[in-house]
Amino acid sequence: MKIVTILKQVPDAEARVRASGGTLDLSGATLVIDGMDEYGVEEALRIRERGMETEIVALACGPERAAEAIRTALAMGVDRAVHVVSDVTLDAVAMARVLAGVVQDEAPELVFVGGKQADWDSSALGPALAEALGWPHADWTTELTFEDGTITVTHDIDDGTETLTLPLPAVVTTQQGLNEPRYPTLPNIMKAKRKTLEARPLADVAAAAGAPADRATELRASEIEARSRRNVVLDGDAKTAATELVRRLRDEAKVL
Amino acid sequence: MIDFELSDEQKQIQSMARAFAREHVLPHAAAWDRETRYPEEVVEAAAELGLLNVGVPEAVGGLGLGMLDEIVIAEELAYACMGFYTILMASDLGLTPIVLAGTAEQQRRFLEPLTTQARLAAFALSEPDNGSDASGLRTQARFEGDEVVLDGTKMWISNGEQASVIVVFATVDVQSGHKGTVAVVVEGGTPGLEANPIHGKLGQRASPTAELVLRGVRVPSANVLGEVGDGFKIAMRTLDRTRVPVAAGSVGVAQRALDEAISYASTRQAFGGPITRFQAIQFKLADMKIGLETARWMTYRAAWLIDRGLPHTEASAIAKCYASDVAFKAAEEALHVHGGYGYVDEFPVGKLMRDVKLNQIYEGTNEIQRVVIARGLMR
Repeated sequence: MKIVTILKQVPDAEARVRASGGTLDLSGATLVIDGMDEYGVEEALRIRERGMETEIVALACGPERAAEAIRTALAMGVDRAVHVVSDVTLDAVAMARVLAGVVQDEAPELVFVGGKQADWDSSALGPALAEALGWPHADWTTELTFEDGTITVTHDIDDGTETLTLPLPAVVTTQQGLNEPRYPTLPNIMKAKRKTLEARPLADVAAAAGAPADRATELRASEIEARSRRNVVLDGDAKTAATELVRRLRDEAKVL
Repeated sequence: MIDFELSDEQKQIQSMARAFAREHVLPHAAAWDRETRYPEEVVEAAAELGLLNVGVPEAVGGLGLGMLDEIVIAEELAYACMGFYTILMASDLGLTPIVLAGTAEQQRRFLEPLTTQARLAAFALSEPDNGSDASGLRTQARFEGDEVVLDGTKMWISNGEQASVIVVFATVDVQSGHKGTVAVVVEGGTPGLEANPIHGKLGQRASPTAELVLRGVRVPSANVLGEVGDGFKIAMRTLDRTRVPVAAGSVGVAQRALDEAISYASTRQAFGGPITRFQAIQFKLADMKIGLETARWMTYRAAWLIDRGLPHTEASAIAKCYASDVAFKAAEEALHVHGGYGYVDEFPVGKLMRDVKLNQIYEGTNEIQRVVIARGLMR
């Protein structure tokens, strides 16, 4: 069994990021492995720990600094990693085409991708990768078992959950509920030093995959949405203020 | 020539220690403090991640971490709770004499078990009537055949009740000063060894502290580290190293104090806006930052000297003394920024101040650090 886990490096959800001039300023922000991708790493490790002989390869496409997120996966227990080094911010479809080239070379039975990417909240990378590979795909997975070259997954749909059986190889996107990712231990952090982290330039990987080394979409303009607060203070005694608060929550905010 | 960057592994260690500390230590620190509770289960969780007894050498099952690695962890854990970090720090203090002066056989016998299970070590030097004047210790060591018999009382022993390995400093002759001193490894549970928990501590209440009474405690003479006369030297060489983690813990507390002060000051309103508009507050924050940064780099430098095998007595004394003074001052100022709220336990700053007061006292009072520094200058 061979599993490829796709990683992205994103700003820590708990860290503050600054928006200025319509763009995000990531300098000084803490960058971490995407929490959604961590579920995939953890699931791969658990599959191996359940006794199935498994090679686990982490794969990421991003700038030099993304190597830090890859090292976290290596320290969690992944065997080796491939880093497609790219200074271009690829959109999900372009990134999927590039990654598909590496996945085809690695020829795994299973690919894990985070259910969505925390940086721009896109849920597109997993489906786009499956499309580029021509493989079946299950998204938002919370449970997963193997049987005779197939995989059975339970995943979220709009009105609940459904259970699917897919032939392998397949792409599975992961999310909260699948497992509780571990911390890398100190011994594993030290061991990770000796593991292979292969860096490949985007241009080479894209050329080999027959994919463009550029965005699939052209970005004309982007803006960070800024919401101003209403700064309303409710007057009157507690009873009046509470009544007014309930009215606003029900009629205006429509949360009650 | 000079590189201030942590290595990739050190960054990983830092982020793991930070995640662990913020999730498993920080949210519970106030309760441990209030209840004076030793959080055994969290010490076990730390051990599972490899954060306990990091000073054990590679040859006997440790990770072979350096002092810089250790202080990166120290700062993160102390940020969450200095008392919790003291449990781990005191264990490293307890095993350091064995690392520095133990034979390969002694290291295997005493240190290996510390890596396979969540076991603690302790360092027993101070006595009820004797602290800074370490060569004046009164605990008696008597050689009988191939055994050593220990009698006396040790005071302020962190992990004293829990430790499976305790290095006890004693003397074969109270009149002979440090020429009679000896370091002996005593295993927890040895008959004649009694641990009495010390109650009523001002701070660091997650860290258990005990008085150890030794009444005819017999151990094999193979448990003696080095030779008779080496005890004082071993204790001093140990403290020369372990003062650096105390400094790093202090830096962690100083960082926490600064973060808490900023967070409170930016939401507290007075005279029509947040109090961060006032220079009286800004200067406090700036001074905390100045102290914090200078203390951190002095601590890093002391650790760097240790990792390079260079003389570090002066640097570790400066780091310990300076960082703990800076941290106490930072905690005090953070409390003041909180005004009345700083004086009640609803906010964590009061605990920071109570906790870090001890950093100025243990592992050599800051007066002793100044003596060490001055002695070097007069040489």
